[in-house]
Parts: sequence; structure tokens; C-alpha cells
Amino acid sequence: MNVARAELRKLLTLPSLRLTALLTWAATLLLAYAYAYADRDAPLGDAALAPLGYTQAGFLVLGVLAAASEYEEGGQIHTTLLAMPRRLPLHVVKALTLGAVTLPVAAVTAATSTLPAGGATWTPAATAYLTLTTLLAAAVAGVVRRAVPAAILLLGLYFIVGPLLRARPGGIAAYLPDTAALDPPRGAAATVAWTAAALALAALTFHRRDA
Amino acid sequence: MVSRVRAELRKLLGLPTAWVGLVLGTLTAPAIVLLNAPYTRRAIAAGTLTDTSDLGLRDLGVGLIGPMVLGVIAVSSEYTSTSQHAPGARQLTATLTAVPDRLRLLVAKTAALVLVVAAQAAVAATATLGLTQVLHGDHVPAPAPARVAGAILYWTLTALLAYAITLITRNGIVPLTLLVINSTVVSVSYLLTKITDLASYLPDIVGAQMFIRDADFPVEIAPLTAGLVMTAWVAVLLAIGAVLFQRRDA
Repeated sequence: MNVARAELRKLLTLPSLRLTALLTWAATLLLAYAYAYADRDAPLGDAALAPLGYTQAGFLVLGVLAAASEYEEGGQIHTTLLAMPRRLPLHVVKALTLGAVTLPVAAVTAATSTLPAGGATWTPAATAYLTLTTLLAAAVAGVVRRAVPAAILLLGLYFIVGPLLRARPGGIAAYLPDTAALDPPRGAAATVAWTAAALALAALTFHRRDA
Repeated sequence: MVSRVRAELRKLLGLPTAWVGLVLGTLTAPAIVLLNAPYTRRAIAAGTLTDTSDLGLRDLGVGLIGPMVLGVIAVSSEYTSTSQHAPGARQLTATLTAVPDRLRLLVAKTAALVLVVAAQAAVAATATLGLTQVLHGDHVPAPAPARVAGAILYWTLTALLAYAITLITRNGIVPLTLLVINSTVVSVSYLLTKITDLASYLPDIVGAQMFIRDADFPVEIAPLTAGLVMTAWVAVLLAIGAVLFQRRDA
């Protein structure tokens, strides 16, 4: 419990996380407005979820910053491990607290996008998706250990490789982690499976590698 | 001057992340042309592609992550800590000790970035357009040299845009997120053009008009004007970045 409280306090006091959450929400609001406005003459697609397609980048960054903050200058991870040497429980607690901190941000962001477009039924699913995306990003950043390369990897995958693969009929794109909105049952399964796999890989490397 | 540019070139090319940008940026567009060849051939046969002269040039866009990464990393690498165990130690301190004149340093850094990105753009454009000619040569006219030059200029200006924004933010994540989201298939700038015609003058939208003709841009802008508008954007942001770099504590 102490570990959870400590991790929670670390996450809540990182200014970069607060800023990211705020910018993400503001961007969602702007895009939701843009979609609502543009929809009058030329529909651009599903206005309930489309803004989240862009602002999920904020959640990727949130996860990356949360995980990479331990490895920045000063090497906070050394202090963390000194206080809590059992790495696997620490990793589980880290994932849980990050999920708990992200959930309200994800809920507000998802509601901002879905409610104006009349897609209230999508809100819980979108909230879960954004939270899982954050955990996936944190897991990747935990393996890469540096914020900028992890962000390049994730943003490149979500915003360049993914859309390109999806533009082709069939293929492997349906199994990427960011397809939940396109094909709900399979996409949700893909998101959960990718996140679980990434977290497991991060736990393994965290357990085995020198800090 | 030459030794400063050489030093900056060596620093840039010594970064592993810069090589991620170089490889990704150079190979993505030709790979896409190759992967999409069967669909493109079918589309040409069916007559759904109206203007085939845009074909290779349009595919070039996906490689833009390369110049973006290079532009961001050229600056952000100076500001990231050199080691976990040496808090506050950043490469910029050493750089400024070697070249205390900040404006000259910035000129050398910019020159190194322009050289690398222009070379990358030339290689990527040659590969992409050459491959398009080999695969669909019967249907696609050889692109005019002016348009290829426009595409190379667009890549260089995009890198400088990323570089200028990073000079202002001193942090790689913000410009990277902003630029990568905006280079996705339906970009935020493109969405904005649906709301206001003024958005046609955003740097990425206006710049594309230097070499792409057949697209639903709400405002037609001549290639030369488009180039000038994008250059103006980059110049203003670079000027702000340069002033901040000169005035702020390192």
C-alpha cells in the first residue's frame, strides 16, 4: 500500500504529466468542435471517435513520460529500487497506479469527444481503450528507457505505419493495437493482447536488466 | 565555418536516433510504392486515378517522418542529459564552450541539418520516383524537374520547421507529437481547411502545393507562392528560435 501511495504521489507531482493531460483534453475539445462544425456541409467520418484518433497521441506521450521519468537525469530509478527492491511487485504497482491516474483523464477526454456527437454509448469503451493505450506506451518506454526514441517508435507506429497498413485491403492491420474503433470485438481483443504482451515484456526486462 | 559545420555534421550523424530518422525517411516511401504497386496498377487500368503525374510525388509524403526526426533531434540532443549519474550535464554546455558565439553555432547547426536532409530528400525522391517509373512507366509521365526540386525543398523546410519549434520548446516530445500527428493520412491541418480557407496557408498544406497539383485544396496557390509562404513560416519560427537561443540561459 505504501508503494502504491509513493508511486501515486510521484505520478501526480510530475508537471509534464499534468501539462500533457491538459493539452490532450484541450486538443480533443478543439477537434470535437472542428468535427461538429465541419459536419454540417461535409461529413468527415465518425465524429464521436475521430477526435480521439488524433488525441490518443497525448495518451501515448503520457505513458512514455510516466515511465521514462524514472530514467531521466538523476536516475530516480535507483532511489525507487532502493526503497522497493522487489522489482516485479513494483512493476505491477506502477502499472496499476498509472492506470488509476489515467482513467479519469481518459474518461473526461473520451466524454469530450463522444458526448457532443451523440455517441454516449462509446464513452466506456473509449475510456478503456485510452487507458490501455497509456499502459502500452508506458511498457514500451520502460523497455526503451528514453522518452524521445520511445515517442518516435510509438507515434510512428500509431500515426504512420498503422494508417498505411490499414489503407491496404486485408493484411495484418486488423491485428494492430489501435484498431479497436474499426472492428470492436477483434480490435478490443488486439488492444488488450498487445498491452498485456508489452507489459509482460517490460516486466521481464525490468526484472532481468541492470537499472 | 567549415570546421564548425563539420563538427555539427559529425554530432548529428553520431546520434542513433538520427539514423532511425535517416533510414525510416529514406526507405518508407520507396517501400510504399513497391507494396502498393498491384493496387496502383489496378487503379490505373480501371481509370480511377485521374492525374497520374502526382503518383510518385504523393507517395513521398510518408517519408517526412525522417526530416521531422532529424530536425527535432538536432536540437533536443543538446538538451537531454548526457548521463543518469550526472544531473544537469548536457551536451550544450560542451558545445557552447567550443563555440561561444551562439549565432555562429546556430548557423553551423542549421547548415549541417540542411545538408543532411537535402541529401536524404534527394535520395528518397530519386528512389521513389525511379521506382514509380520502373513499375508504372507506361502510364506515368516523368515528373518535371521543378516539381522534384519542390519536393526536396519541402522536405528541407519541414526539417527546419521541426528544428525551429524544438529551438523554442527545447524539448523533443512536443514538436515530434505535433508534427507526426499532423503527417498522418488525414492531417489536422487538412481538417482545419474544411473549417476555414485560411488554413490553406498553414505550412504543411501550402508547402505541398509546391509539387502536388491534383488534390482538393480549397485555395489554389501557385507553386512559387506556396514555396514563398512556407519559407516565410520557417523564417519567422527560426528567427524566434534564434532570438530565444541567444537570449535564454543555456
